[in-house]
Amino acid sequence: MVTREDVENIALLSKLFVPEEELDALTKDMQEIIDFADTINNASESGESFDNINNLSNVFREDEVVESYKSEEILKNAPEQAEQHFLVRNRE
Amino acid sequence: MKYELVAGFETHIELSTKTKIFCSCTTEFGGEPNTHCCPVCIGLPGTLPKLNRQVVRYGIMAGLATHGEIAEISKMDRKNYCYPDLSKAYQISQLYAPLSIGGYVELSSGKKIRLHHIHIEEDAGKLIHQHGDTYVDYNRGGVPLIEIVSEPDIRSIDEAREYVEKLQQLMRYIGISDCKMQEGSMRCDVNISVRPQGSETLGTRTEIKNMNSINNIAKAMEYEYDRQCDLLESGAKVVQETLRYDDATGTTSSMRSKEDAHDYRYFRDPDLVTINVSGEEVEEIKKSLPELPAEKCRRYVEELGLPEKDAQLLTKYRNISEYFDKAIEGIKAPKTAANFIIGQIFSRLETEADKERFDIKTTPQQLNKLIKLLDEGKIRNNLAKATLEKMLDEGKDVTEYISESDMAGLDENTLNDLCKQAVESSPKAVEDYKNGKEKAIKAMVGFVMKNSRGKADPALAEEKIKGLIK
Amino acid sequence: MGTISKIHEMLVSKEISCEELTKSYLKEIENANKELNAYVCVTEEQALTSAKAVDKKIASGVEIGMLEGVPMTLKDNLSTKDIETTCCSKILQGYKPIYDATVWEILKNQNAVLLGKTNMDEFAMGSSCETSCFGGATNPFNTNHCSGGSSGGVASAVGGNIAPYGLGSDTGGSIRQPASFCGIVGLKPTYGAVSRYGLVAYASSLDQIGPITKTVEDASIVYDAISVYDSKDSTSRGKCGANTFDTLNNDIKGMKIGIPKEYYEGIRDDVKEAIFAQFKVLEDLGAEIVHIELPAVKYALPVYYIIACAEASSNLGRYDGIRYGYKTKHYNGTHDMICRTRSEGFGEEVKRRILLGTYVLSAGYYDAYYKKAQNLRGTIISAFNKAFESCDVILAPTVPMTAFEMGHAVSDPIETYLTDICTVPVNIAGLPGISVPCGFNAKGMPIGMQFIGKQFGEAQILNVAYKYQQSAKENFKDTKWGVKL
Repeated sequence: MVTREDVENIALLSKLFVPEEELDALTKDMQEIIDFADTINNASESGESFDNINNLSNVFREDEVVESYKSEEILKNAPEQAEQHFLVRNRE
Repeated sequence: MKYELVAGFETHIELSTKTKIFCSCTTEFGGEPNTHCCPVCIGLPGTLPKLNRQVVRYGIMAGLATHGEIAEISKMDRKNYCYPDLSKAYQISQLYAPLSIGGYVELSSGKKIRLHHIHIEEDAGKLIHQHGDTYVDYNRGGVPLIEIVSEPDIRSIDEAREYVEKLQQLMRYIGISDCKMQEGSMRCDVNISVRPQGSETLGTRTEIKNMNSINNIAKAMEYEYDRQCDLLESGAKVVQETLRYDDATGTTSSMRSKEDAHDYRYFRDPDLVTINVSGEEVEEIKKSLPELPAEKCRRYVEELGLPEKDAQLLTKYRNISEYFDKAIEGIKAPKTAANFIIGQIFSRLETEADKERFDIKTTPQQLNKLIKLLDEGKIRNNLAKATLEKMLDEGKDVTEYISESDMAGLDENTLNDLCKQAVESSPKAVEDYKNGKEKAIKAMVGFVMKNSRGKADPALAEEKIKGLIK
Repeated sequence: MGTISKIHEMLVSKEISCEELTKSYLKEIENANKELNAYVCVTEEQALTSAKAVDKKIASGVEIGMLEGVPMTLKDNLSTKDIETTCCSKILQGYKPIYDATVWEILKNQNAVLLGKTNMDEFAMGSSCETSCFGGATNPFNTNHCSGGSSGGVASAVGGNIAPYGLGSDTGGSIRQPASFCGIVGLKPTYGAVSRYGLVAYASSLDQIGPITKTVEDASIVYDAISVYDSKDSTSRGKCGANTFDTLNNDIKGMKIGIPKEYYEGIRDDVKEAIFAQFKVLEDLGAEIVHIELPAVKYALPVYYIIACAEASSNLGRYDGIRYGYKTKHYNGTHDMICRTRSEGFGEEVKRRILLGTYVLSAGYYDAYYKKAQNLRGTIISAFNKAFESCDVILAPTVPMTAFEMGHAVSDPIETYLTDICTVPVNIAGLPGISVPCGFNAKGMPIGMQFIGKQFGEAQILNVAYKYQQSAKENFKDTKWGVKL
């Protein structure tokens, strides 16, 4: 059973605001999707272990330095920046 | 009522690899903000992590050094939480299958602090808060860490202190981290609870986050212990929460706000594949590890016959013990070398940091030569001491200060002559000695030593002087 | 038809210069895009510069490669340096990457001419292209119908002859489904065959980049070019075998084509009939039709939505208004800024999937949903392995229906999700699948069917698809739009 509180909680975890007036509709929506997802719990198969799709292991990188990007490039897309930092002003 | 303290540690240690855990940016400390960054470590859309081989190796080394069992299969998981210092809104870490399981750290009392596991993960970036604004620098983002999670086996602040020191010592020995708490390359979270003395059940714990000095850990634990005891005494309950320690006020305070509901939603990171460590690889790494301080200390005591206290001092830092090991190669009496190091050399190294660096002008080979001369009876102890001082000042070989003739010893005739001179030039001392003042003889021996430039055998000189006076 | 091989011949024979060719595509984009809405960004200047460089090379007498000078397009979730990459989401507005996706790097090095970036469902979440913040791309066969999704823009552009080919991405059918709707060819490669580096992640363990083309041989050419091992992607394997182009025309006599009955349940009749009619074509080519069972695929759809949404909820956490993209205008404190940015920047479907993904991963639900889904994933993989013991390739519908009319896809989420029922099993099992046109319904809308291969069995499915195409050319119809060569 998906409750309003569940939806509020996962919205907080997801860092999303759900307007009060949409909460009931969304809860209902979520319940439907979860009911649908629940069909897997009727599976008689207990399931098999799954690791990763191609069963790969030990894919590593050597510990060798490659020159980093220039900070102008790193900051190029920042909505706001100051003193070579990404900036989050407290309020706007 | 008397309360017992129960504590466990989560210790984060930055590994001293050249590059970050998932990209090839340097891990160098400091640097202009956002200059040690690339699309991967600032989490640009579409980028993928690639695991640094050395991080796994260092993690295995840490596991072996703490007697852990290295997992044949380990995996990387995502720990999801959204915070500006975390560029992907998840930290790649290990939860379900960490690299090393179990193990322990042995305290000097012989007590073993058990470890739950050790896992590898990435560090977050750095936030600077100024007038309510937040400045973000991702240079540290993606620097590799190991997290060493202990069982709640610690029962006192002294044990806590020693546990941290021992971890620091071990990790530095195996060379995987500099463990500089002041630079943040070693940080501790402490889980702490109290319970009535004799009780078997655990009390409600609080977690003090991110402490970066051993003194702060001790002070924070002390404060928290008192606070929890007071709560229980007054009939109140301890609330399970995360705390921060404020050094200025010496108090702890709650870190949580209602904004961060915490549920990390760990799941296997689909961008990374399984880590499979073979038994052979573990053996190979085990062989490559240096002798660890506890084993070294035991060997110094049992095989070299050093006092426990000396052995502790010599094994505190890897640089010292390695110096000592080289200095005593082929030496009969290692105690002499130990005395030189703990006495004369240590007196020149004022701080712990100096001792750890052990940056002295005399090489262990040079000291070894000096001790060999002593060993073979070619020079006397006080000459050796004086020579070592000069060597430490100037960094030159022992042969620069002691000539062949110095080492030839004193011939019988010269010694006889010097003893005669000593008796003749000190009538007062002779008088005193005859009146039963045993010590008066020392002045005359001193005369012989001085005039032979330390080459005379003081015991033999004393014997001869006694003969002359009779 | 403006296929890769045709264009290559024309360039080599100097029948047309690369610049002329590129200009005619740019011109047709200008004309057709108003209705097709396939492109969300046209890179005219860059395209002409690359074209001129190719012409210079041809003029100097140097031999050119198959893809050299051939115009093309990329789905807007592939990272292109200095070219806006938005995933058709408001939250990535204005984002100009500082690095190239590996696939684009490969094609750029082969002097491909990029015409622009194409429309898609926001963050590849959708089946009609209509969740795009730019509005959906339309179907070149009938612009009242949608292009399909999520790689709807690429399919619309290729179907509408305003790109000879393009690269899309397929997480639950996003290459094959729009290819089917637009009457063209779409190949979803084996997981790991093509590097994902630079593909903006939706669901990392399911995402795979692949070509959308007019013909099977074009799909083969592009697949051969991009299926290269990439050290930047830990899950990369490369093509694991020889070029598929060399075996396209192999005889398929004796090839066993499996027909799993589960795939044909709940399929619209016109689609079912169109596919059944192709059995004879394949038998005439010497293939053997065998009827098989794949009961585990009944779990594929819920398993897909659980895994995809879980991974998406994590992958999309990074859009917080700090490093790139959209940032809200008015807020109070960092937490508020992040929540507002995300709430304003993401569309409804994306938010719905993030919430679902967060839910299935959250404490108390992880075992019942995510872990269980992962286990069933193992079951589905084994089921396919078992099925491939009795056949060489599997033939199934691509989509249970034909292209919906615009505005009719997104009313009911579950209903919409059901359109993915035939495509998602391949993603769950990491297998290759190619959708080819196999007929038209009464309204003249294209119907597609897919050949599903064993892991890294691209050569085999391209081979059978090619042989089929050669015997069923009437199903590969051109549209009225775009460049006519």
